[in-house]
Amino acid sequence: MRVDVTGVAWSHVGGEDCIRLVGVAPGADVRVRVPPAHMVGELPPMAGRLIADGDDRCFVPRFPFIPGTAYAVVVDGETVAELARPRVERPATAEVLEIHPAVSEVPRNLLRIYVTFSGPMREGVAAAHVRLVDAAGVAMHDALLPMEPELWDGSRQRLTVLLDPARIKRGLVGHQELGYPLRAGERFRVVVDGAWLRVPHEREYAVIDDERRRIEPERWIVRAPAASTREPVEIVFDRPLDHALLARCLRVVGVDGVGRAGPEDRSWTFVPIDPWPAGAHSIAVDPVLEDLAGNSVDRVFDRDLADAADTPRTPGPVHLPFTTR
Amino acid sequence: MSELGLQVGAVALGSAGPITFGPEGILFLADNDAATIFAVDVGDPGAAAGAQPFDLEDVDARVAAHLGCEVDDVVIRDLAVHPTSHNVYLSVQRGLGADAQPVLVRVDALDGSIADVALDAVPFAAVTIADAPAPDDERVDGILWPDAGGEELHYGELALRILRQPIRAATVTDMAYVDGSLLVAGLSNEEFSSKLRRIPFPFRDEAADTSLEIFHVSHGKWETAAPIRTFVPYDSGRSILASYTCTPVVHFALDDLVPGTKAVGRTVAELGAVNRPTDMVTFVDGGEEYLLVANTSHGLVKIACADIDAQAPLTEPGEPVGVPREVEDLQGILRLANLNGGYVLALQKDEAGHKHLRSLKTASL
Repeated sequence: MRVDVTGVAWSHVGGEDCIRLVGVAPGADVRVRVPPAHMVGELPPMAGRLIADGDDRCFVPRFPFIPGTAYAVVVDGETVAELARPRVERPATAEVLEIHPAVSEVPRNLLRIYVTFSGPMREGVAAAHVRLVDAAGVAMHDALLPMEPELWDGSRQRLTVLLDPARIKRGLVGHQELGYPLRAGERFRVVVDGAWLRVPHEREYAVIDDERRRIEPERWIVRAPAASTREPVEIVFDRPLDHALLARCLRVVGVDGVGRAGPEDRSWTFVPIDPWPAGAHSIAVDPVLEDLAGNSVDRVFDRDLADAADTPRTPGPVHLPFTTR
Repeated sequence: MSELGLQVGAVALGSAGPITFGPEGILFLADNDAATIFAVDVGDPGAAAGAQPFDLEDVDARVAAHLGCEVDDVVIRDLAVHPTSHNVYLSVQRGLGADAQPVLVRVDALDGSIADVALDAVPFAAVTIADAPAPDDERVDGILWPDAGGEELHYGELALRILRQPIRAATVTDMAYVDGSLLVAGLSNEEFSSKLRRIPFPFRDEAADTSLEIFHVSHGKWETAAPIRTFVPYDSGRSILASYTCTPVVHFALDDLVPGTKAVGRTVAELGAVNRPTDMVTFVDGGEEYLLVANTSHGLVKIACADIDAQAPLTEPGEPVGVPREVEDLQGILRLANLNGGYVLALQKDEAGHKHLRSLKTASL
């Protein structure tokens, strides 16, 4: 029996997206399907409900139609129409704002890279678009740890990429067989590209020796501000520290203000909202703060059990005192 | 359900993450976008099932058909089997990018039919997994958020909006329910740590949660933290086997996991270079408990738990490493769950990239 349908089109009913069918017999069986890419036998139809709107029948999907997807409308077992949902073309406007560490030299045991984008990114495709390339332009396979799920910040603008810890940690099979992902004395680039990016972005680094020391805030230089001013207090580190952790691991006890990492994340300044009260103050250091190789205030990244220098410090808060000038 | 602290309402699930069943058919769902774990009474309609296997070819294509999208728009994040009906629950992301939508899918174990589980009026409870700052933490982030609310501070002629926000939450990689507690492993997108969180269920206030830092020692020489990728309790919940992003399989006695202390696990096996664990499950066959480790490089790895208990900590690098194991000729296994006493259910990807649900007979593994 020939199915008699006079019109099938994208439409709305009751404020919802639908596929509207005109001229369908009242008792007809109406289904909507996404034609499968390969034959897999009997598949369920798309979930949704059929609503009568006057003489028309409207298929309202339980899940929204997806732009760029084709939907087949089947009435009494016969495909009467195939509608393609219009694709939303979005111009490539996103760009990479920054790649951290924002330094020129990194230790061979570099652990972590942050890529910050100008807008929210889609989750699940980063691996195909962030890679390391050696000085000869050859992709460095197996240098980065494939992540599932990917590590995005809450705004989905900053992606955290780890160099494969199994190749950095001494003693593991990955390290034994493949060695460090990076080679001291050589250069490499972090390359981020993709069709959705306005322009590709990259940052080049020179690789220097390993960094295997615990962070010791006692070694930092603290430059105290003058009392009754809003001069910044400044800390100068003995090495670049982790950019993201710097944003939350340092504070001045009891003083509101704005903390900011300095160039290459080698320093930190804090400007109070109100002028400094004269006298003693204290900078609290969250001991989870790490350097570029994952060494923290509490512990080194991979501790040599035979080396007393690697012994973790006794857990607890760290305070750096300073007195206003 | 009131004794479990559940209240009927809409589960505002923002993203599809790991799932696992707890007591009385309660399903735990991790929402990594919202740093929240939901405990949901899914109202499973199935009758108690027997010990038969369950297989479903092209489960990804079937889910895509039901959800009205192309198969490339379906990401199956996790798999859980209802303890009595053996219906299969899938944590699915439909669509990509900003339009991505989490969907909880139920696959009927009797006929393989696909349904989505409506979450708009179900008994549920929720717990946040953000590492909120301590009450006396006066920190100002120093991060400027142009449109993000927060409070406005004036610095010279500049007006800055400062958001005092909780410290970044962990991304949940795996969960398991043991004896009144939900164990949660997670990754930080900042510090390199290995926290295993224990959340009492029914959920109470956050103070009831404990978390501890876990370390592992490689070859008796080096000790490091390592984020847990997947883990499984065994020995009636007395022990945990965890596998890291960097492939060692590490044993912990759950009794040893005392909050506020450092726990050092015992490395009992390594899975080889450039290999990543994807899931683990235990089963009992002939009175012996075994562990299956799905991974990206080898076939399915089977380890006898008795061998784990007997394995001394690894001290010498080199292959083969650790406990005796068998590599089953089963490739592409992405997720594992216990189906019933006789079968383990696997989500398997074939060479063409199509995904299937396959029952593995435990007596034949």
